[in-house]
Amino acid sequence: MVKRKKFISMIMAVSLLGGVLAGCSSNSGNSASGDNKTTPTAQADSKNEERTLKMMTGVIGGKTPEENVKFEKEIERLTGIKVTMDKPASDYDQKLLASIASGEKYDLLQVSKERMNTLIDQGVLTPLTDQVKASKVLSDPSVIPTDEWDQVKTKDGQIYGVFTKYQGGTMPIVRKDWLDKLNLPEPKTLDDYYNVLKAFTEQDPDGNGKKDTYGLSTAGMYELQGFFSAAGLKQRYVETADGKLDVPYSTDAAIPVYEWLNKLYKEGILDPNFATNDTGKMRNMFLSDRVGMITYWDAWVGMLNNTRKGQDPQTTFEAKGLPGAADANGNYMLRRGDPDVWVIPANAEHPKTAFEFIEWWNTQDGIMLGSLGIKDEDYTMDNGKYVLTQTGKEHASDHGVPFWYNSNVEAPFGKLPGVQEAQDLVNKYATLELTPPNWSEAEKIINEYSFKAIMGEMPAADAVKKMREELKAKKLID
Amino acid sequence: MKAILKYKTLYLMMLPILAYFAIFSFYPLVRGLIISFQNYRLIGDRPFVGFDNYMTVLKDPVFWDVLQNTIVIGTGIFVINFILPLILALSLNEVASVWFKKVTQMIVYLPHLFSWVVVGGMWILMLSPDTGIVNQIIQLFGGDPISFLASDKYARSVMIFTSGWKEMGYTCILYLAAIVNINPSLYEAASIDGASRWHKVRFVTIPQLSSTMKMVVMLNVLGILRMFDQILVMRNGAIADKVDVVMMYTYQKGILEFNIGPATAAGFLIIFATLVISFVTRALIRYDEG
Repeated sequence: MVKRKKFISMIMAVSLLGGVLAGCSSNSGNSASGDNKTTPTAQADSKNEERTLKMMTGVIGGKTPEENVKFEKEIERLTGIKVTMDKPASDYDQKLLASIASGEKYDLLQVSKERMNTLIDQGVLTPLTDQVKASKVLSDPSVIPTDEWDQVKTKDGQIYGVFTKYQGGTMPIVRKDWLDKLNLPEPKTLDDYYNVLKAFTEQDPDGNGKKDTYGLSTAGMYELQGFFSAAGLKQRYVETADGKLDVPYSTDAAIPVYEWLNKLYKEGILDPNFATNDTGKMRNMFLSDRVGMITYWDAWVGMLNNTRKGQDPQTTFEAKGLPGAADANGNYMLRRGDPDVWVIPANAEHPKTAFEFIEWWNTQDGIMLGSLGIKDEDYTMDNGKYVLTQTGKEHASDHGVPFWYNSNVEAPFGKLPGVQEAQDLVNKYATLELTPPNWSEAEKIINEYSFKAIMGEMPAADAVKKMREELKAKKLID
Repeated sequence: MKAILKYKTLYLMMLPILAYFAIFSFYPLVRGLIISFQNYRLIGDRPFVGFDNYMTVLKDPVFWDVLQNTIVIGTGIFVINFILPLILALSLNEVASVWFKKVTQMIVYLPHLFSWVVVGGMWILMLSPDTGIVNQIIQLFGGDPISFLASDKYARSVMIFTSGWKEMGYTCILYLAAIVNINPSLYEAASIDGASRWHKVRFVTIPQLSSTMKMVVMLNVLGILRMFDQILVMRNGAIADKVDVVMMYTYQKGILEFNIGPATAAGFLIIFATLVISFVTRALIRYDEG
């Protein structure tokens, strides 16, 4: 009896506590919506808006907390805007989510396009379409090429985010020096690729007398666009002519490519660790002469070359970007990365200043800060010329903007070897992929059967059939 | 009231810890419960939607898939984490050399101190089909290399085994500590009755360990549905459908898709399930009876 009484009173206590806290929190919910209502007023008298900004960034800013403080000061020196910049050291998305949800008000956020779409869905971003159109800086095609805006436009043509930098694309990256050593031409078709990769595996391209090299390594299914290009298939989703969503990798046209990959796996040409590799492991294999081809970002062509040059100035190592395998009509298809954008949340207190900052970020001063870094810290001026300090060299001209759109601003030190060619390939052949909100669910199914097909646990035709059935059953394709 | 005044220093000393739990456990818990009934947006109003989030989760086939994985892997880990340490502790107890016993104890305890990021990374390397030590041993005996972490067949077993390997030392120490506490006169009495070494283990040590076993069972049961770091570190696209657990689902919905409502609802379903499982287990093993 006593036990039961205790139990009942405990339940009552808990529910009471719950009630009290629920009361508190519904209040806070109300106040959040209240804030929303005050935003228009805030915008109305934005002319006399205080010139301060609070922003959260992932890759933009100083490399250390100390440098980040200097970064804030440098922005103030250059623009007169007082800036507080939160730059979490890791788990950016989690921290972004937590701080916005807990009621922190930011004027500017740096997010990926994918994240921007989620935020648009939740209705928490300020549309910038009119401001972008009216902006002298941003509407100038030499600052941001007109076509590029299509990347960030929503279906109804609205713009919510402005590019923080030029985002490249991914492609197969080959050891050009190995190609030359083995007297092989650059591969064009899937068969050419097979021959080259086989030679990398079997003909001892690193010359150490051991059969310890692979032709190709990837980080899982992260990036195989360059090979599916041979069948003219786009990674992730496409919208068909009648407006339906489809996954090209799950169509019959993909079967020969899976079979080709399976051949590589069976013959030991594809790194057997490809399923468990992360991109770091994949890069290390490439840098340590264990694999002749990987699939990665254009900018990394230069960084890979630079890393090996740094270790050994005499090295013959040469990484080179390739356009992937051509389809029957000789066309190539590469993948473009989702761009990073600046967005202004709906509850921003200084939206005008935030937009002013975005404009400035795309001018000479902004770009130099985002790339080279801070004056007298990362670089000095010598007779109008930029000179990198030791810190500046360590930071490799990347404070969030390694590359940019603005063609009026020249890179003071040029680009790392191989990058320009790789970027040209991206500009010529790469297109953005379509990523609907439930992509992570679809990805799981696509991965599962793709791996089975590549590793030979299932004939490619069966794997594709099952993949398609399951995508349909879970309503992930129309 | 009198009692409170009498022990006021004790109550005062309890305050910090109470505050700690209130701020870092109970408040988030209650807040989470509220969010699980809301259509949660990051900024702006968050209307209450009743049980919609829970229905979304319960109607999601992915949730049932991951729940199945959780139960299979969780049960495996539960069993292996109960039996392996027991065998180890009983064997170590029979070892006469103190030095050997202590070194072994330390070695098996070490993995417990490392995070899953380290342990998982290590096992990914050790199980690698070309350079991993496990496959090199298999090849030494003429076998073909196996992609343990990329194969449907082995993925769950690998998760269960590595978890057993990591946590074995910790539970083993709980058992060893209990064994030390067993009254020596029981063994003497058994010797007088002519018991063999095996008989002493079977009829004295094991029965005397029952309360520790109950505690181990309870601790493991509470952890079953919470598996996360191990899976996050060791999963990959090839085996995700076999090893993704409920917490991965919550992570995917909440952090990757910013879909906080359903993610919190899934989290609460887990809390609720853990509550039920632990009540049932308590009753089954008669935990309260010492």
